[in-house]
Order: sequence, then C-alpha cells, then structure tokens
Amino acid sequence: MSSRVLVALRVSATPERAFEVFTRDIALWWRPNTLFAFTPGDPGVLSFEPGDGGRLIQTLSNGKEFEIGKVRSWSPPNRLVFGWRQATFEAGQDTEVEIRFEAIGDETRVTVEHRGWGSVPAAHLARHGFPDAVFLRRHGEWWQGLLSGLNAFMSDRTQGNQGA
Amino acid sequence: MTEATNAPATRGLDATLAALADPHRRRVIELLREGARPAGDLARALNLTPPAMSRHLRALKQCGLLEESHPPFDARVRIYALRAEPMAELKRWLEETERTWAEQLIAFKVHIEKVDPA
Repeated sequence: MSSRVLVALRVSATPERAFEVFTRDIALWWRPNTLFAFTPGDPGVLSFEPGDGGRLIQTLSNGKEFEIGKVRSWSPPNRLVFGWRQATFEAGQDTEVEIRFEAIGDETRVTVEHRGWGSVPAAHLARHGFPDAVFLRRHGEWWQGLLSGLNAFMSDRTQGNQGA
Repeated sequence: MTEATNAPATRGLDATLAALADPHRRRVIELLREGARPAGDLARALNLTPPAMSRHLRALKQCGLLEESHPPFDARVRIYALRAEPMAELKRWLEETERTWAEQLIAFKVHIEKVDPA
C-alpha cells in the first residue's frame, strides 16, 4: 500500500552490534507508549524469538503472550523485517516493519520503515484530536505521494478494468 | 469534531481507496489538486462524455473526496473541489506513528551507547 513511515537515526556502534542489541535487548530499551499499545492497559515485555520464522512477542504480567508479528527476514547485520499487529487493528489489517542497519564511517544508521497502512485502527480515532492546520499544510504533497503510490499499486490490478 | 464516529471513519477510508482504484477518478483528483473546476472542464480534460464524467464525480462525491458547489450566478454549473477530511485521519495516524518510532530509536541509541561505549 502507499502509506509508510520512515525514521532514521545514527548510533555509535557497528551494524553487527546494533543488530544484536536491537533484537536481544529490546526489553531493555523499548519504551511502552500509548500509541503502540499491543494489549490495552498492560505494557508487558517485548522480546524477539530470533531467526527466520521467529517472532516478536509481548509477554504480559500474567504470563500470556501476544504475537506482534512473525519475523519475515532475519538478515544480520543489515536487515530485519517483521509483521506488526496491534490489538486495536481491525481484522485483516496487517502492517510490516523493516529495520535497516547501514555502516556510516564508524557509526551505524538505523532506519525504521513501517509500511502497509491502508487504514487507521478504529479504536485510536476516538481518543485523539489534533489541530488540522499542521496536517493540512502538507495536503498537496501528501496527495501527490498517495496518488503515485496508488498508480503503482493499482496498475496491475486494474488491467482490463479501465472503463467508465 | 470529525472523530466523533470512529467506525464510519475507517469504513470511509476503505471506500476512498476503492473509489481511487479507477484511473479516471485518480486523474480527476490530480486535476483538482490544482484548484476547483466545473464538471464540463473535467469531462473535456479526460475526454469523457458528460454522463460518464457525472458517474465518476458521483462516486468521488459519495465517499467524501469531493465537494460540489455552484457559482452564485448560475445554479446549473457545478464546480468540484477536493475535500481534505477523508484522508486526514490516516495522515494523523502516520504522523503520530512517525513520532513514536523516532522516540523509540532515541531510546535505542541511548541504550546502545550506554552499554557499549567502546
């Protein structure tokens, strides 16, 4: 789908070390927050089951597990891809997170790409109100991005269905 | 507040994406990004008959992508313009998700640079 979120940051470490600490220590550095609430009311503890076919899971204080997503690519030291589902997502709403680790000199650029947003988790909407102006300012650019994404996405689906 | 009814908002988004599956309708949105236009103008630009144009505009209007008005001097002329709201919720969500990932990466940076100062 056309929507994605892209965030990057440099850390003082090699890609090998960054990949290792990112996955092994996620329980230590992850900060529970209301937006990424996998299970409402219980921040739990995150952990990766390493390797292809592994999982990112949240273990609740009562011992229950919530599977955030399966590992789709475990390719140290440069790339990690996993599925991402929050409790508030609607059925069939699947998103994917890719983490890239690239050496820049003696540092590593860590990039998060979160993609697959076709809609907004319903439970999220009622809780938040934002000033429109901030978002509307980028309205034109945003449409452009959406349309070029859709044109690519739809081109193989709408062949033979071009009629009025 | 447009957030008052949340389920219709996400259904609306699906309807929006469905409406945009048609290349003619995407072209209409592209043209309207530059400003409001009368229906006849759009029909000429897309080389469509008025009835065909009218069907596309109706579909886009139904999912709330377009709004229709007419100039004060002529009620028969219909002018179409883009509406911002259908996609505003998704934009807000993406902005907030971006900010939250940025916070997570900062927390990761603090952690890795603390445990591995070497």
